[in-house]
Amino acid sequence: MKKRILAVILLLGMLTTLLAACGSKGANPEKRREANEIVIGIPQDFDSLDPDHMTAAGTKEVMFNVYEGLVKPTSDGNIVPAVASDVNVSSDGLTYTFTLRQGVKFHNGDTVDMQDVLFSLKRRMSEDDAAAHLAALDIIADVNGQGDTLTITLSEPSGEFLAYMMNVFIIPAEYEESAVSMGTGPFKVVSHTAQDSLVLERFDDYWGTAAKVAKVTCKIIEKADALVRGLQSGALDMVSHMTYAQTSQLKKESFHVEEGSMNLVQALYLNNSVKPFDDVRVRQALCYAIDKQGIIDLAFDGYGTPLGTSMFPSFAKYYDASLTDYYPHNEDKARELLKEAGYPNGFEMTITVPSNYQPHVDTAQVIVEQLKKVGVTATILPVEWNSWLSDVYGKSEFQSTITGLTSDNMTARKLLERFNTKAGNNFTKYNNSDYDELYAQAVSCTDDARQVELYQQMERNLTENAANVYIQDMADLVALRAGLEGLTFYPLYAVDLSTLYWG
Amino acid sequence: MKKRINGYLLAGLIITGILLLMTLVGVFYTPCDPNAMSMGEKFLSPRAAHLFGTDNFGRDIFSRVLKGSGTTLAIALATVAIGAVAGTLVGAATGYFGGIVDDTLMRLNDALTAFPSILLALLVISIVGPGKYNVVLALGIVFIPSFARVTRTAFAGLRDVNYITSARLMGASHFRIMAAHMLPNTLRVLLPAITIGFNNAVLAEASMSFLGIGVTPPDASLGYMLSEAQGMFSRAPWYALCTGGVIALLVFGAGLIGEGLQKIDREVA
Amino acid sequence: MKYALKRILMLLVTMLIVSFLTFAAFALISGDPAEAMLGTEATPEQLAALRHELGLDRPFLTRYIAWLAGFFTGDLGTSIRYRQPVWELIAPKLEVTLCLCLVSFVIITAVSIPLAIWSYRWVGGAFDWLRTAFNQLCMAVPPFFTGILISWLFGILLRLFVPGDFPGLHANFGRALVHLFFAAVCLCIPRCAMTVRMMRSTVIGEMQKAYVRTAISRGNDRRAVLTRHVLKNSLTATVTFLGQTMAELVGGSVVVEQVFGIPGLGRLLVASISTRDYPVVQTVVVILAFWVVLAGTLADLINQRIDPRLRLGGDA
Repeated sequence: MKKRILAVILLLGMLTTLLAACGSKGANPEKRREANEIVIGIPQDFDSLDPDHMTAAGTKEVMFNVYEGLVKPTSDGNIVPAVASDVNVSSDGLTYTFTLRQGVKFHNGDTVDMQDVLFSLKRRMSEDDAAAHLAALDIIADVNGQGDTLTITLSEPSGEFLAYMMNVFIIPAEYEESAVSMGTGPFKVVSHTAQDSLVLERFDDYWGTAAKVAKVTCKIIEKADALVRGLQSGALDMVSHMTYAQTSQLKKESFHVEEGSMNLVQALYLNNSVKPFDDVRVRQALCYAIDKQGIIDLAFDGYGTPLGTSMFPSFAKYYDASLTDYYPHNEDKARELLKEAGYPNGFEMTITVPSNYQPHVDTAQVIVEQLKKVGVTATILPVEWNSWLSDVYGKSEFQSTITGLTSDNMTARKLLERFNTKAGNNFTKYNNSDYDELYAQAVSCTDDARQVELYQQMERNLTENAANVYIQDMADLVALRAGLEGLTFYPLYAVDLSTLYWG
Repeated sequence: MKKRINGYLLAGLIITGILLLMTLVGVFYTPCDPNAMSMGEKFLSPRAAHLFGTDNFGRDIFSRVLKGSGTTLAIALATVAIGAVAGTLVGAATGYFGGIVDDTLMRLNDALTAFPSILLALLVISIVGPGKYNVVLALGIVFIPSFARVTRTAFAGLRDVNYITSARLMGASHFRIMAAHMLPNTLRVLLPAITIGFNNAVLAEASMSFLGIGVTPPDASLGYMLSEAQGMFSRAPWYALCTGGVIALLVFGAGLIGEGLQKIDREVA
Repeated sequence: MKYALKRILMLLVTMLIVSFLTFAAFALISGDPAEAMLGTEATPEQLAALRHELGLDRPFLTRYIAWLAGFFTGDLGTSIRYRQPVWELIAPKLEVTLCLCLVSFVIITAVSIPLAIWSYRWVGGAFDWLRTAFNQLCMAVPPFFTGILISWLFGILLRLFVPGDFPGLHANFGRALVHLFFAAVCLCIPRCAMTVRMMRSTVIGEMQKAYVRTAISRGNDRRAVLTRHVLKNSLTATVTFLGQTMAELVGGSVVVEQVFGIPGLGRLLVASISTRDYPVVQTVVVILAFWVVLAGTLADLINQRIDPRLRLGGDA
């Protein structure tokens, strides 16, 4: 018997040694630095590598490095030529002339020609492929491509046409037949293993400034705490969109944390068509009752920018900071308004929250506590993201919901159009004729200054009528391994991998 | 055999008793408001004012554990009740009647058993949505087959026993035979099944919370708190350890009771 | 032989019910793949067009029969989310999950059977209660919690493996195996405890039987009786239990794969349910269910080999 026990102990000892020997050869940040590679952690899988089929923000932000349009955004919010070298807009705002840049190459080495550009554009204009169809391009009356010159004629002027063109990514004409996803960006896709990883490599023939790191691996890890462990264990070098609670677990000497903003409007969105939120006084009461700064302090450790309307500070041109404190935190005023509206004892409401977004769930928990103080009993109703899309966003079957809405093409229109009565995605059922009137004027306005003014009036309209309880633009905390530098924030949901380097 | 004190049963009853008592107290009184948040008291380590420390919102973990174990207990008991009642009904019918009833119900039962339990719960929750009551429903369904199987075997074994046959000859109704004569005799196998079921329910609820399909905030169950706590493990290890510890104690206590019951059963036999 | 045939037939019927139930479940869930694909930018026209393209506008039964026909002709369909043949998507995940279950199974048999025999020798001893208590304690900790403690201790402090970096079975088998080993350990702890407990009580039950008492009273050595008769007779119960264990491991792996970041079937399943990718879910569920039923059937068939008495009874 004793012999056997001894044997077992010996066996265990051998096993441990073996494990230690195998394990130590694992992922090593030092080795990656030598090889000029990085590994980033991504909390969700890529929904599609096809540039015209990707919808998840998490996919778009990475593929930003792979695909480019004729024009592209810069980190300070401007639109600059990319695959095109020059853009001209006629004085009536109806004709756009793009000149193709010479010698831009696809990832397989082929040169971009007019045929590819026309294919890419038509793919997004056509309604045959429902997922690829970009409705904003419906105003295109005529497309004419000859030699290096592409002329697009619009049926009506649009101040945001170029912004939408950023999302018409240039792909080869034979894209649908080819097995690999390729574009013209600074990185090319090497492989994608579903639910595991996406491997990107630097594209050496890139027309612009080449990327600094040679290889980027995006590891897909769904669980937030597993991401933190991945950083701690040395498996990952960078993770975006973290919370302070997570970054504070990392050692200061091994990581540095950069703070940007998520560029989204996080709000308690109210269904304006159901009781009691069809009464403006009730909506205003909620605005007074909810303490934005309190939410930011409690659930986000002070990181975040309070907002007062459907616009965030990165869009400096359109952003009206004076609206932020339009409804200062005031519980007495809230109670008064509720009494006026006929709810002296408060009421019961539900807050639908997409359960996979912990920040929204946390916000909801704080709001429940804040509303309790003015007699409103709120119940949190977490739903899966898909049910949220279907029931809340699609069918407006909700009372109130917390989410963050973004603008994926840097236009104010994207943020504001969903509150116009006729908008298909007006999920809050906001119904205000002044607003509709302003919107109609704004979209067809070609005078930039006038358009900005109109958009600001729309923002004020939303605030004055308390369309929703606006909360904040959430902070984007990015954890990077010590030595990894060069992170650039964009005013849209994008991670620029080309500027990162090991210092 | 000499009558000895059943140590397992006693220890199990003491542990479970203490936890139950605390939970009961928690229904009426908690040291702090379990949902009250406090900016200045985030992530406090355990101390006199906060026995288990505080969480990321500055809420008192001890108070939340008291409330949470109430939720967990309620879920586990309700789940076991659903599973045991429905399972016993199905098992009794199939075991007693046999034949076509047995074949149809048992095929359905097999199909349910064929789903790994967490998957079945996942599917049910996807349909009915998350929340306390739906978790009970999902887990209840998951637990039916095992109870059905246990009762079926017991009932099938008793079907042709002499006193049952006599009862039948005397004209007793099927229902009466099953309820008055057979059921009391199956308690011997049902009781351990119930303690095991209770443990599985507590652990399954924790796993479901971990996968994000469990109870919904601010209803804190122990499982929900543990899955929340593990995200802050290196910031506030006490959060995970305290909630994890209470779950383990709860299951441990019930496990000991089960062990004790089994021992009694052996000694009787 | 006839019995085996009957079992296989039953297996098929069960699988059919399982696939139908899953399909029906998906018809009831709110949200569909078209909504999942188009996200917040969707317009009602786009949704309708995409639903038509994916064939989601056909009646429920038509879709089910089409899926079933495809399944039997070897065409598992295409993943809606990944636009990739389902089998191509599933095969590498299946490999990983099978490996994880296999490693766990080996650990469980290798640890629990000797442990059970060893612990039997101490029945009634002074520290017997301690062992029973420890056994119960092992069953009382939720596996994902153990998983987190294990990744902390062995992954981050001792650096025996790298949490968050599963290298892939083909890329680096040795390292992948180490990763799976730690994941398997947290699956195994409660399961080992259960096996030990089950075996112990079977052996104790068996020891109280008349033939054992006779054998011992005739002067046979207790240990010889134990190894020669009792263990052999409690083998069938153990095999059945191990069959169940095999089935339970698959369910447990769903959780453990999340903790250890292992790209297996469980993670694919959870993600596919939330993206409503029903061709994938359908196939994964059928595979998992098949696994569970197969484990049970195999255990039964093995038991018939071991114990001839079971061959007569049919449904035991």
